[in-house]
Order: sequence, then C-alpha cells, then structure tokens
Amino acid sequence: MTAATGRRRLPRLLPRLAMPGITAIGVKELRGRMRGKRAFISVTVYVILVAGFAWMVGRILEENAQNQMMFGGGFNASVQSAGIGRGIFIALMFLQTLMILVLAPASTAGTISSEREKQTLDLLAVTPISSVAIVVGKLLSALTWVFVLILASIPVTALVFVYGGVAPDDVIRGYVMLFVTAIAFGALGTFFSSLLRRSGAATGMTFVAVLISTVGLSFIWVFMNVTSQSVFARRPPEALFYLNPFVAQADVACGAEASQGSWCQIIDTITGTFTDFGVQPGFDGQPGGGVIIEKGIAVPERFVPDAPLPDVQIRGDVGFGGNANVGGVVVNDVLAVDPLAAGRDRYWPRSALTLMLLAVGFTAAAVQLVTPTRRWRPRLPGIPRRRRTGRSAE
Amino acid sequence: MTSIVWADGLVKRYDRTLAVAGVDLDVAEGEIFGLVGPNGAGKTTTLRILATLLEPTAGDAEIAGWSVRRNPNDVRRVLGFMPDVFGVYDDMRVWEYLDFFARCYGLPAATRKRVIGDLLELVDLADKRNSYVQGLSRGMQQRLCLAHALVHDPKVLLLDEPASGLDPRARVELRELLRELRTMGKTIVISSHILPELEELCTSVAIVDRGRVLASGRIADIEQRLRVGAVLRVRVLAEGEALETARDWFAGQPDVAASAILPDGTIELGFRGDEAGTAGLLRAAVAADIAIASFARAASDLEELFLQVTGQDDPAASMAPVAPGSEVAA
Repeated sequence: MTAATGRRRLPRLLPRLAMPGITAIGVKELRGRMRGKRAFISVTVYVILVAGFAWMVGRILEENAQNQMMFGGGFNASVQSAGIGRGIFIALMFLQTLMILVLAPASTAGTISSEREKQTLDLLAVTPISSVAIVVGKLLSALTWVFVLILASIPVTALVFVYGGVAPDDVIRGYVMLFVTAIAFGALGTFFSSLLRRSGAATGMTFVAVLISTVGLSFIWVFMNVTSQSVFARRPPEALFYLNPFVAQADVACGAEASQGSWCQIIDTITGTFTDFGVQPGFDGQPGGGVIIEKGIAVPERFVPDAPLPDVQIRGDVGFGGNANVGGVVVNDVLAVDPLAAGRDRYWPRSALTLMLLAVGFTAAAVQLVTPTRRWRPRLPGIPRRRRTGRSAE
Repeated sequence: MTSIVWADGLVKRYDRTLAVAGVDLDVAEGEIFGLVGPNGAGKTTTLRILATLLEPTAGDAEIAGWSVRRNPNDVRRVLGFMPDVFGVYDDMRVWEYLDFFARCYGLPAATRKRVIGDLLELVDLADKRNSYVQGLSRGMQQRLCLAHALVHDPKVLLLDEPASGLDPRARVELRELLRELRTMGKTIVISSHILPELEELCTSVAIVDRGRVLASGRIADIEQRLRVGAVLRVRVLAEGEALETARDWFAGQPDVAASAILPDGTIELGFRGDEAGTAGLLRAAVAADIAIASFARAASDLEELFLQVTGQDDPAASMAPVAPGSEVAA
C-alpha cells in the first residue's frame, strides 16, 4: 500500500522538483557547449595534458628509484615500483584538483550573469520554469562538461595500476573528491554569477573566493598554529582546511601509502593525531610524568607498546609495530578518545561533506537571487542597485 | 465582453521614486490595448508587473482571473511577454530557440515540432529555420521573439515597445502580424511612444504619464470626454481671395476654434465637435457652395490627444473624471 502510494506520489513530486525545466535548460546549454568540435578538442587537450604530466612524473620517479637502487637504497624493485605508482597517482590527483579549481568556476561564473548581460533572463523568468530549475539546470550542464573531462582522465589514472602501490578504492576516493570539488566550486561560480551583473566581475570574485577558501584559510591555520605553539594550547581547528581540496587529496594519498609517510604526516599535523613529533615525554607536574591526551587525539600503536588502553583506536597498518623506541612515555589520564580519530577515512569525508553543504548553500542563495520578485536584494558597496526600468517619475 | 487583464491601484516604488503611482486597467478579451506615454511614464514597469517580473508595492493585477501576486505561475501559463529590450542566445539556431521555450512550457515532443513549424510560418521565418539566431536582422529577431511568446498559445500577449528599432517595412509587417493574432482571438497589450502606430492598431488605449493613467478607453471616447479638438484638413478648389473667403466661412462656423491656410493651399481647422458635428460641418460647407476636393480628419489624432492630455500643468485636476482615484501622488 505504502509502496503504491509512494510510486504514485513520485511523478507528482518530480514536476515540483522542476525536472522539466532542468531538462529544458540542460538541453539548451549542452547544445551550445557541445556543438561542433569545441567539446572534442577540449577533452583531447585535457587528456593529453594529464597524460603528459603523468608520464613526466613517472619518468622523474623512475630516475630517483634507479639512483636509490644504485647507491644502495636497500629496497627491492616491487617496493620501488609501488612508490612510483603512488607518486603518479598523487601527482595526477593534485593536478586535476588544480585544473578543476580553475575550470569548474570558470564554466559556471558566466552562466547567469551572461543571461543578464544579454538580457535573456527576463524571457526565461516569465516562463513557468522555476528559479530552481534555471540555477540547477545551468549548474548541472556546466558541470557536465567538467565531469566529462574528469571521466576522460580515468584511463590515464588507471595506468598507475601497472606500477602498483595504489588500490582501486584509493582511486575511487580520489575521484569522489574530484567530483565533489567540481560541484562545490561550480556552485560557488553560479552564486557569484547570480549575485553580480557582469560576467567579468563574477568570474573575478569567484576566483578570489577560490583563493580564500584554499590558500587563505590554510594560511590562517598556519598562522594560528605558529602563534599558539604549546602542547596544551588549543590546536587551530582542522575545519579551516575542509574547503581546501588539496588537503583532502593528501588524506586520500595518506590512505594509499598505508598511513605512514610524508602525506600522513601532513594530515596528522593538521588533525592533531599523535605523532612522533607530538610526543613530549616527562612533563613536570603531570601525574606519572605522562602526557595528557586530549579528546580527539589518537595514539598510534607504537606509542602504546603494552596496549594499556583498549579503547584507543589503533591505526591499522603501523609498520613498526612495537619496535618504536619511545623511551619512558606512559600514556595515562586519557580523558576521552575519539574512536574515529585515527581512522583511515576520517579527514577527507568531512572535507567532502563540508564542500557539498557549501554547494547546496550557494545554490540555494543563487536561486533566491535569480527569482525576479524576490523580497530581499543585497546591497553591496560599489554595486549600484539595479532599477529594472531605469526610469524615474521625477 | 469580459475583462481579461485587470489592474487595481498598482503601485511600484523604488527607494524614493514612484515608477507607477496607482494604475488601473481594464482590458476586454480580444482587444488590442495600447499603453501610451512618454519615456519614463511607467509603461514598462506596469507591463513588468503584469508579466510577474516585478512585485507591485501595492495593488494587484489579474490576468485571465489569476492574480500576479498570488498565482504568478498560473499567470505565466496564460501569458506571452516580449520585453522592450531583449537579447538572443549566441550559438543557437532559430528552431532550437523556439524548441527551448517550448520545453520550458512543458510541451510534449510531438506538439513541439508542430508548433515550431506553425509559428515559423506565422512570423515568416520558415526559411530561416536552421540559421543562427544572432545572425538574424533586428526585425527578424523581433518576430522570433514574438514567436517565442506564442509557443504555449497564450491568451494574453504583453508587448513592450515591439516596434522600437524597426525600419518602416518591418513595422508594417509587425502590424500585420499583430492584426492576424487578434483575429486568432488573442488579447494584446502593447506599449509604445510612437503614437500613429498605436492609433492604427489599437481598439483602446490608456494614456499614462508619471505613473498614472490619465485617460483610458476607446480613442474616440477619450477624445470626446476630454473635449479635445480634432484637426480637420479641407482642400478647396479655390485660390487667393476665394480661398480666404472659404477660410473665413469655416472660421465662422460653430465649434471651429482655429483656422489657417497651409502653404500647399489646404485649410486646417481646429475643430471641437464630435463626428456628427464634423458631418454637419461638411454638409453646411457643401450647402454654402464651397467646392470641396477633400475633407478629412488629420491622422495624428492620438498625438494631439496625447499632447493635450500630458501637456497640462496639473493633469490630475483637469482630468478628474478619468484620472484614477488613487491618493498616492508623486
């Protein structure tokens, strides 16, 4: 009974969700974007760039590996090969993140403002399609193009399996993050496009916002971290990095390198996970000379040789086992331990979720700005308030 | 006839300026209704409120029984709108342009194809079907825009300055097109400041200035109500003295306010009477043995009317019987 009702309600719900409008906008936009050779050429250029970059990174890493082997690196060939595979994978994810950070906002920042510039938005606004359909339709069709580029790069990325060192689920994580990046920063572009009248201004503002959310917020974290250097001081919130897709990709890379390597160290520093660097044995005045572990801090196994704390989440693949010599560190007075603290998929899903929430927020704001009879109109300094008629009754 | 477009005390205020200061409209089904007024009179704002693109500060309007405030989506389904300035998408063919708007109105695929064909025939763009929209001439774009407003077979068409920027030939074509639409049963509300154009086309007009309707109704009715004179041009088969005698005879007739001999020998009369009075004047002139070659009202009635209505210092006071009763003064 309920299933039947649900099935009957669905078609009625879909028009309300503006499906026909989204289709109409999507068909129109894609006709324009995919016409002629343009789409074909851009995909080809993109794939050639990505492949060329991957090849060069591969060559560099191979040279390094050969030198190491020659001068007594001590590792066998399969370990070296895995290192090369990981290196290429990480380089590809970073390169594509960078390209998406440019392409996604660039392809959406003109969508609404160009309709305003060309004075075609009114023609759209008097049709029954909703503002939701206009904004979502335009966002999706602009993103479709970026998605095509991302998908086209999968075969290139798949070449890392030749070297090994990267599991298929690592690749999936990396690509999920790429798609999330495209959606979030595409929505950002759409927002500025509906806020500002001129496409140029919208594009400029979008890139300023991209810089703030990536470089700017990360710099604030670094600043806070440096100015509050003390074991007991509050650590700057890791959330400052949630908008930075590079850090999320670093976490994916950390997962690929089995939680012990340079990428993991970066993530551990950001998230406050207990690492070798964080151990400060024998504080005076602390009971037992130990370290107070704050909530949210995970203790890798190597610091707890006798495993006295069964509820501490131990990171899975700690290679050194109990061999790590940490002297007389006794971990006691554990206040609370976040069970997810040291989990492998801890950081990047949070980043992805934040970016998706941001995308939803910006899209909703854009919808509000596109609605012709909206009640509130933002007033920004330097942006003259638009009078549609431009006429006065004197 | 029932009224299909109806507005009651529409007010639109932008900060301190009052763009529309209480506009009342009542347009019967099947009419071609002209909104006449100088630039800045509030015509565009009024039309944009009717088209649900602006929310009125006060008052309400109804299109085919739907309120623009409460049921904007229903209004959009019965309404076709052509703004005064509009752009076209680059990179789009003529048929794709219409197909896009047909999709926006949710027309099924089979209907879309037929409607696009019909509309392109109607606006005479059938041979441009596969051309790019931005490559069309201004007049063609205007016709295409009109076609786009017709894809959903609306009851009411709102056209804001449809003839602006068109050459005379394109204007004539547009006028023919609008006449054809009227025979198809559409109600058309059209705004313009080019008066002769409206005069030939419209069944009724509203004269708008400074956000108010100064007069509305059939042109002849307004004329009479305002007691504004018509201009009569009389050609008499006479020259010199005889012509002046004829002029003097006309000047002596009742309701003739002014008389003059134009350089081409035509006598121009300012005449206050109605149409019956005009007929009486002609009869009297024939009886007085004046050889009349032609006798006609000048074509620019509406222009005269408009100047007289809007040219007064205090239109609201002198036009009291026809001005809206709104208290919201600019």
